[in-house]
Amino acid sequence: MAQPQSLVNRRMVMDWLGIAPFMLFAVLFLILPTLYLVTGAFFNPAGEFTFQNFRDLFQPTIMAAYWISIKVSMASAIGGLLIGFFLAWAITQGGLPGWIRSFVLTFSGVASNFAGVPLAFAFLATLGRTGLLTFILTTYFGFNIYSHGFNLLSFLGLTLTYMYFQIPLMVLIITPALDGLKKEWREAASILGATSFQYWTMVAFPILWPSLMGTFLLLFANAFGAIATAYALTGSSLNIVPIVLYAQIRGDVLHNANLGYAIALGMVIITGVSNFLYIWLRMRAERWQK
Amino acid sequence: MSFLELNNINKTYGGGMQVVKDFNMHIAKGEFVSFLGPSGCGKTTTLRMVAGFETPTAGTIRIDGVEQNNLKTNQRNIGMVFQAYALFPNMTAAQNVAFGLRVKNKSKEEITRTVGEMLKLVGLDHLSDRYPFQLSGGQQQRVALARALAIKPQVLLLDEPLSALDAKIRVSLREEIRDIQRKLGITTIFVTHDQEEALSISDRIVVMHQGRADQIGTPFEIYNRPTTRFVANFVGTLSTIEAKVADPSANTITIGNSVITLPEPLGNVKAGDRITLALRPEALALNGAEGRDYSLSGRVEAVSFLGSVIRTRLNVDGQPLSFDIFNNPSVKPPVAGDMIEARFSPADLLVIRE
Amino acid sequence: MNGKKILAWFAFAIGATYFIIPLIGTFIFSMRMRRGELSFDAYRSVFADIQFRETFSYSILMAVLTIVVGMLLVVPTAYWVRLRLPQMRPVVEFITLLPLVIPAIVIVFGYLRLYNSSSFLPFTGSARGTDMLLVFSFMTLSLPYMYRSVDTSMRAIDVRVLTEAAESLGAKWTTIMFQCIFPNVMSGVLSGAFITFAIVIGEFTMPSLLNRPAFGPYLQLIGANKAYEPSALAVIAFAMTWASMGLINLVSRFQKAARARA
Repeated sequence: MAQPQSLVNRRMVMDWLGIAPFMLFAVLFLILPTLYLVTGAFFNPAGEFTFQNFRDLFQPTIMAAYWISIKVSMASAIGGLLIGFFLAWAITQGGLPGWIRSFVLTFSGVASNFAGVPLAFAFLATLGRTGLLTFILTTYFGFNIYSHGFNLLSFLGLTLTYMYFQIPLMVLIITPALDGLKKEWREAASILGATSFQYWTMVAFPILWPSLMGTFLLLFANAFGAIATAYALTGSSLNIVPIVLYAQIRGDVLHNANLGYAIALGMVIITGVSNFLYIWLRMRAERWQK
Repeated sequence: MSFLELNNINKTYGGGMQVVKDFNMHIAKGEFVSFLGPSGCGKTTTLRMVAGFETPTAGTIRIDGVEQNNLKTNQRNIGMVFQAYALFPNMTAAQNVAFGLRVKNKSKEEITRTVGEMLKLVGLDHLSDRYPFQLSGGQQQRVALARALAIKPQVLLLDEPLSALDAKIRVSLREEIRDIQRKLGITTIFVTHDQEEALSISDRIVVMHQGRADQIGTPFEIYNRPTTRFVANFVGTLSTIEAKVADPSANTITIGNSVITLPEPLGNVKAGDRITLALRPEALALNGAEGRDYSLSGRVEAVSFLGSVIRTRLNVDGQPLSFDIFNNPSVKPPVAGDMIEARFSPADLLVIRE
Repeated sequence: MNGKKILAWFAFAIGATYFIIPLIGTFIFSMRMRRGELSFDAYRSVFADIQFRETFSYSILMAVLTIVVGMLLVVPTAYWVRLRLPQMRPVVEFITLLPLVIPAIVIVFGYLRLYNSSSFLPFTGSARGTDMLLVFSFMTLSLPYMYRSVDTSMRAIDVRVLTEAAESLGAKWTTIMFQCIFPNVMSGVLSGAFITFAIVIGEFTMPSLLNRPAFGPYLQLIGANKAYEPSALAVIAFAMTWASMGLINLVSRFQKAARARA
């Protein structure tokens, strides 16, 4: 009886051993670093347990940073949601030629990855003070956008730039959901007497709203955690949270390492909750599509 | 003038493919008509033209005298049940049924009353708060039926409503549909590829083949007097027999060595012409009663026990012939290898015209 | 019906305008280095810059290392989970989603605090050590994409059935791994590899905070100091991203055709 027992155990040990490298990697390079920061937020430099760091988060500069981050993330998420949905609707139900759909989807795949520093350069070259579009509008149309108050290096400019990857991300995620709107639902609504407007308000949008809401949250979290584009575009002039954290990591500008941890924790909570809600909403949406 | 008229309906698609050819049908008020045919025969396309989802390339559709061609789908007051149920997943059964009424801005009391009536009619008033994903296929289809009837349509269209369901549910639900239709007296078109369905519940059947209406008639007519080879083959089982014309004036033909006189004139044939005849399996028997004066002998190849019916396959001079006899517990069924005489009446011979 | 089509074309037009204008603008801007005429001077300047070549090669090397080490970690793990530990699937999938939730800057912040010279794993104590840490950080960043594309292709070929069939025919595990599994998941591996390549080349936050001479920080530096070269670099970066995506499409189409033939 002892013999089979040890064989079984050995197989089980082998099974768990197989997954060990991955687990080790995850612990060392994902979980431990994050936990270190998260727990560090609850201590002060002297090593005592405290909630002071969280109270310190409410100082004006840091609150302002969170607020700006939230505003930019919200704005680019809403912009991405509306324009992305409009575009996705056009390629799925707009009756456009087939090649447009594949072109838009491929381009969206590329554009959603074209973020970071090069994206900032592209917008500077186009809408910056010496940018090409600025130049064309001033020279040939007599319309100087900068003298009318526009500035790329601002909240509006950053939002506009962020939309370059938010819109494609929206298109990529919402297109399958739009495809999932069965043709029969439209026909059934129609034969029961509904107009187009009634179909959209009573059937299509209610079915789509978990996907829409969820993707909005994904876009929000995506923008919230982004830094490279902002850093290259606005430098430190627009103090979003990642940039504050960047400065803190670089040079301890806050003179309090643990406060840095609290800022990081704040970021993780915001992006974590957004992503969690996104996944929950997506599961709800999939349940209906059965 | 009939209640529902389809006159000279033609439908050609962009690529030049004509899917419906010169379709003519007049349906009386309260009649239950089935469009029967294999996939691609045009039955669904014709139904969708009545609904307004497709526009006829030529021809008119009239309901109660009113021409429908220029009316949009949501203006026609027609009820439709789809093969894939098409219930709105974000609404409960009751809300689905109420949809058509809410769209017309009916009062809350009227909506609640009608929804209750309809769900009771299909036997689902106890499940009114369930969502579609919580209902079985048969239940969903019943809700779809209630939803279509709630708007008190002038015509009810059903597009293969039972094809997605299990066999047992299919049988019980088709009876229910027919009962409800009779009770309400609503003019109905039922599209199916299942001939048993069509035969069992229709007042009349249109058998469609490659865009044309091959035959229009009652189930009895379609089954017992098919006018084309396609109808004869598609509806029911059939054994074909090759024969030769003996004497056109005397209506005689020869099958092998036997000479048989047919009760009906053969039409435009000459002596020596080849002619195809057919026999339904139940027209053959082992005894000679009821006018079964002629017989064909052959060797039994296979015997299938189908429950109440025993189907025997004979080899008659190289031609396969199948015949059915009722199961009788005290009579032994034929055995493979036996030589048997199958008797039939010439009145049951169907002449197959192409 | 016609109104809907007009609206759809309008949507497409808006999208096309918004997305194409920056690309054209950047390209033309990059050509304006020489006064009065269009030229490729900015590009020449970029390619002549020794720092460009150094940082670009460094990033390419990092990308290749990330892909190789990453795949060595991901492919066997995905295979193992499918075959032997299906109950761990939710856990593993959750872990692969974490890098999408936790911002990169937070992760690298954690590395700097945890693995500095006075910790139990002093990665940042030396340049080589930091390079290793950088590779691990890139692996973390690209883990979601690598795992998902490999896992998807494994699901498509049903590794469990394939392995059992091979075992019943008497194959050793090395044979199974390299002759049955690997060739069939190659499209997933390649897709994951190309996405990883695009991510690593352009990544700024991690190499910047870890002080390594990668392409991302170089781009940032150029942006702060030069006028026309940044837009040339942006064009190059976009072309590279497009090429990566194009290769992914090519690979998946090739794999589909191969499977159809089989």
